[in-house]
Amino acid sequence: MENENYIIEMLNITKEFPGIVANDNITLRLKKGEIHALLGENGAGKSTLMSVLFGLYQPEKGEIRKNGEVVKINNPNDANDLGIGMVHQHFRLVEVFTVLENIILGVEPTKNGFLDMDQAREKVVDLSQRYGLKVDPDAVIEDISVGMQQRVEILKMLYRDNEILIFDEPTAVLTPQEIAELLQIMKDLANEGKSILFISHKLNEIMAVADRCTVLRKGKCMGTVEIKDTTKEELSRMMVGREVSLKVDKKESQPGEVVLSIRNMTVPSKIHKNNAVRDVSFDVRRGEIVCIAGIDGNGQTELVQALTGLEKMLTGSINLCGKDISKASIRERSVAGISHIPEDRQKYGLVLDYTLEENLVLQRYWQPQFQNKGFIKFDEVRKYALRLIEKFDIRSGQGPITIVRSMSGGNQQKAIIAREMDKDHELLVAVQPTRGLDVGAIEYIHKMLVEGRDNGKAVLLVSLELDEVLNVSDRILVMYEGEIVGELDPKETTDEELGLYMSGAKRDNVKEIYNAG
Amino acid sequence: MDTFYYLVQNMLPVSIPLLLVALGGMFTERSGVINIGLEGTMLTGAFAGALFAFAVQGSGLSPNMILLLGMIVAAIAGAIFAQLLSFAAVTMKANQVIVGTAMNMMMPALILLVSKMFFNSDGITTNVRYFIRKVPVLGDIPVIGDLFFKNTYLTVMIGFLILIISTIVLYKTKFGLRLRACGEHPHAADSVGINVSKMRYIGVTISGILGGIGGYFYSVGITDGNINGHNGVAGFGFLALAVMIFGQWQPIKIMFAALFFAFLRTLAYSIPLIPFLANLNIPTDYYKMMPYVATIIVLALTSKNSRAPKAEGIPFDKAQR
Amino acid sequence: MQDKNGMNSKTKEKKKISDIKGFSSFTSALMAIVVGLLFGFIVMLLANPNNAVAGFRYVLLGGLGRFGDVLYFATPILMTGLSVAFAFKMGLFNIGASGQYTMGMFFTLYVAFMFNLPPSIHWIVAILAGMIGGMLWGFIPGIFKSLLNVNEVITSIMTNYIGMYLVDMLIRSNEAMYIPSMTRTKYIPQQVQIRSLGIAGSNVNFGVIFAILIAILLYVVLQKTTFGYELKATGYNKHAAEYAGMNGKRNIILTMVIAGALSGLGGAFAILAPSEIIGSSMTYEPINVIAANGFNGIAVALLGNSHPIGTIFSALFISYIQRGGTLASLVGYKPEIIDLVIAVIIYFSAFAAIMSSGIRRIFSNRREKESLITEPQIGESSENVDSGGNDEIEKNTNKEAE
Repeated sequence: MENENYIIEMLNITKEFPGIVANDNITLRLKKGEIHALLGENGAGKSTLMSVLFGLYQPEKGEIRKNGEVVKINNPNDANDLGIGMVHQHFRLVEVFTVLENIILGVEPTKNGFLDMDQAREKVVDLSQRYGLKVDPDAVIEDISVGMQQRVEILKMLYRDNEILIFDEPTAVLTPQEIAELLQIMKDLANEGKSILFISHKLNEIMAVADRCTVLRKGKCMGTVEIKDTTKEELSRMMVGREVSLKVDKKESQPGEVVLSIRNMTVPSKIHKNNAVRDVSFDVRRGEIVCIAGIDGNGQTELVQALTGLEKMLTGSINLCGKDISKASIRERSVAGISHIPEDRQKYGLVLDYTLEENLVLQRYWQPQFQNKGFIKFDEVRKYALRLIEKFDIRSGQGPITIVRSMSGGNQQKAIIAREMDKDHELLVAVQPTRGLDVGAIEYIHKMLVEGRDNGKAVLLVSLELDEVLNVSDRILVMYEGEIVGELDPKETTDEELGLYMSGAKRDNVKEIYNAG
Repeated sequence: MDTFYYLVQNMLPVSIPLLLVALGGMFTERSGVINIGLEGTMLTGAFAGALFAFAVQGSGLSPNMILLLGMIVAAIAGAIFAQLLSFAAVTMKANQVIVGTAMNMMMPALILLVSKMFFNSDGITTNVRYFIRKVPVLGDIPVIGDLFFKNTYLTVMIGFLILIISTIVLYKTKFGLRLRACGEHPHAADSVGINVSKMRYIGVTISGILGGIGGYFYSVGITDGNINGHNGVAGFGFLALAVMIFGQWQPIKIMFAALFFAFLRTLAYSIPLIPFLANLNIPTDYYKMMPYVATIIVLALTSKNSRAPKAEGIPFDKAQR
Repeated sequence: MQDKNGMNSKTKEKKKISDIKGFSSFTSALMAIVVGLLFGFIVMLLANPNNAVAGFRYVLLGGLGRFGDVLYFATPILMTGLSVAFAFKMGLFNIGASGQYTMGMFFTLYVAFMFNLPPSIHWIVAILAGMIGGMLWGFIPGIFKSLLNVNEVITSIMTNYIGMYLVDMLIRSNEAMYIPSMTRTKYIPQQVQIRSLGIAGSNVNFGVIFAILIAILLYVVLQKTTFGYELKATGYNKHAAEYAGMNGKRNIILTMVIAGALSGLGGAFAILAPSEIIGSSMTYEPINVIAANGFNGIAVALLGNSHPIGTIFSALFISYIQRGGTLASLVGYKPEIIDLVIAVIIYFSAFAAIMSSGIRRIFSNRREKESLITEPQIGESSENVDSGGNDEIEKNTNKEAE
């Protein structure tokens, strides 16, 4: 091992945060010209490790070597000087800047003290042709597709002549077809001599593209394996620490009468001039889980906001259990029977500085059970909170009076689920309910969704994860550019077919079905 | 036509403080820091400049020389004063609005204290005559000479020069690009190795410089080189914020906004000279309220499509993503 | 979590820990005060080194002998302080307390001079009129914020100027209440003045009792009612409040109107105060100056940590050092020294809270590493760090509790 040609070595890295060890004695060695995968669950410490390599964090222990020599990386500038570049999971692009401005930011060429955009443009055009990364240098970031934004991020690294390229969960925002394209680009880059660190929790992609793989679990290093000598099952076991079945255990669904009926819904966009949701119609029945699938930003968020009343519709109608709620307020819709597990649990779902018990009555504090003439009945709130905490097994430092901010992501989500499932409801709207959670929490949430369905509720699930879409739902609606372009049966469809619909390559006329009926 | 010339000649010296201070506000907000303390910054500059003028007024320096040197003094004073904001907002990550408010309260008290203790008055009174009746050569150009180079102050020419420089710095230099990135997406800037804190310190310092100069130019162009702690700069620091918002954080639009507000104010103070308005017999106090009422209306109208720098007012936290 | 008794005992324990939070806001206020006073002392030293110690002694101790005056001058700034504090709870910065205060004062003056009412109710109507004047002036930034999303900070600064010009104009043009030769309002009829508390050498009156009662009332509203629950939730996270179906637009207007009412009452209490000299009263001078009591309310609110009860004490404190500042003029200093001190206190209280939370975090980390409770990972979303690890730690905690 000693004699091998390692371009980067991270040796015995330990990084602590208050109350937690994010990286515990981790060693990772990257060979020149290889694609090295870094595998782990959400929260396993992958991002922290890469932030250490990129100079965003300083480790408490351990050292980093480049070509065998110890280096100190204090900030992204140092990383850049060593030839290390990174495509962040959430793109670091200034939305109101052009592609060109974003690429040169930080390494701007100048002439007589002024920006030299011509020289920059020449180099960018040259690079984009050489690596087949198609971009329009003068387009403004907020106007271009996510795929192109990612190419901009890659060009940023190439423009800086980086040798070591870090890709942090790069496929999360792409369609299956775009993913294939990206994986090919990565292979090409490796063939050109670039060394690539590929962070992912998706086994298929790692098996397809990587040479070696280092696995992290709960901040600890589980070892490094050669991809050609391993299997998906083995990697999965290393990542989670036990056998996992991603299959959700559920019975055949027994759809009852229609609970939610949306007709011709159109919702304006806040970001661009076009409508975010365009003439969408569908039904959700009692006892079924309907999943809205699609790539992020195709109108799912706006659809849910219009459904729950957070956003106004331009046209269309919403019918819940035979009652027209198109113009109802958020509170009225909630009373009418909509429970909502929001997309962003910290922004919408919780008042982080309130206690757990105060959050558990967030939808109900005004009901006679909890208030009398405007005065809150704190005893009742406490009793109710204790019941939910026990029933849903919400873990926290100090029970009902824990400040929610101090709780773990999984338990915060459990608190929301407890609140929304315990409230009287006919329809449960769950938007990306498992985002950022570990396998245990994901399994739990899927179980709860299925339980809700079996208790005769209608469930509308919005998800970006293909596995979740295929495993949990009873019926799939695919959204593309604000429209529903396909209705699929999860038992009959495949990843590939779903991908074609999600990328707009294939579409059925779903509208007809509902508008006729 | 004379009334028109009169209005323009009076409007320009009023517009310059608004323009400069709004540009200062633009530089800080583009870097991501909100500067409510511009009123106090202006007072600082006005006081420092007036103090300097007071000290040198008998020394035989020409008024315009005093003005240039006073401007530098005011700029330095403003820049130092602004560090109160940059330290609190950038290093301590404090609430920027509260800090700005404190800065605004600090200066009038300090001016009154110093003036009462050392000058036995509420402020500084100077007798430097900055007024320029006619600029040689340029003042002879028909129309343009009448509008811009007669009955004016040197401040007007300096103000427009600073506007041009600001525009170039913001859009054509490496510094401008980086500054704008910090106000829009500091994490993006940080990830390409830009020192966000440093950029924000610079942004705030520029607002201190321009705010200080703007304050001094206020005293030169509006209150005859005097300044006192009671009236201060009559809310010009706040009006400049409105000018900046109305101008959508862009230099040229800010200039038009500043001219608009200056026009309203000049009108308010020129009622007796305009027969039509004088005949209406509306108390002048109504006109004095006009710029403030106009600010509210303008903000209400622009609020819908206002495009403020996305990260303004939010302390930069490396760890947050 | 099966063991309920275990958890209940933990609950009681936590009560004490939450007291520490209040304690730390007290220490941070104290820190700001100490720095502010120190700064004042330095300025005094620079201005006149010989008398600095004597002057500073007046500032610190001068208020002691004038308790009645301390209460009297605390009354209006307690009201504007409550006004700012109440809006803060909702996440709004009511910098417009000055304008609301002035407007309230004008409405009160108008009722006092222009209405002919029986003595028994005239003063009450005058006070209520002041409240309405303030409400009106708080309503303007409120409605602009809620319907058009215009930042309340700039609108309320503008309403300060508009209110000041408007009131000055209206007073100057009203012969019944204005004496041009003295540039002040006439003396208010005795029957409209609020009754004195009868402390010799001071104008302190029932206004201060009302103000304290109002502070307690606000405390109850914030802590015990659904309205207070909604208000604080909106202040903490307006998106979550909207998600929970709270009427944000209505609550913004309501909050600003209530804040305005409080400031307006401050104006009423100030102008209706009785005078020790028979036949005279408080007067208002329409000389185009924005009421300082509004801005001092910001200091009061910040020092009181926006807590209604805390605000009572901070108002007393500010009033106390103001009395001392007035006395410092005996040795050549000017009362403005206190305005400077107040400004410095506001400046430091803007980040004193952050400093002390930092200190608290150091302490609590030490404490909680022992008891194995995870602290909020400020700045670290749970996505980045191992959330599973948190669960582990919490399990341990529960075991301890059992």
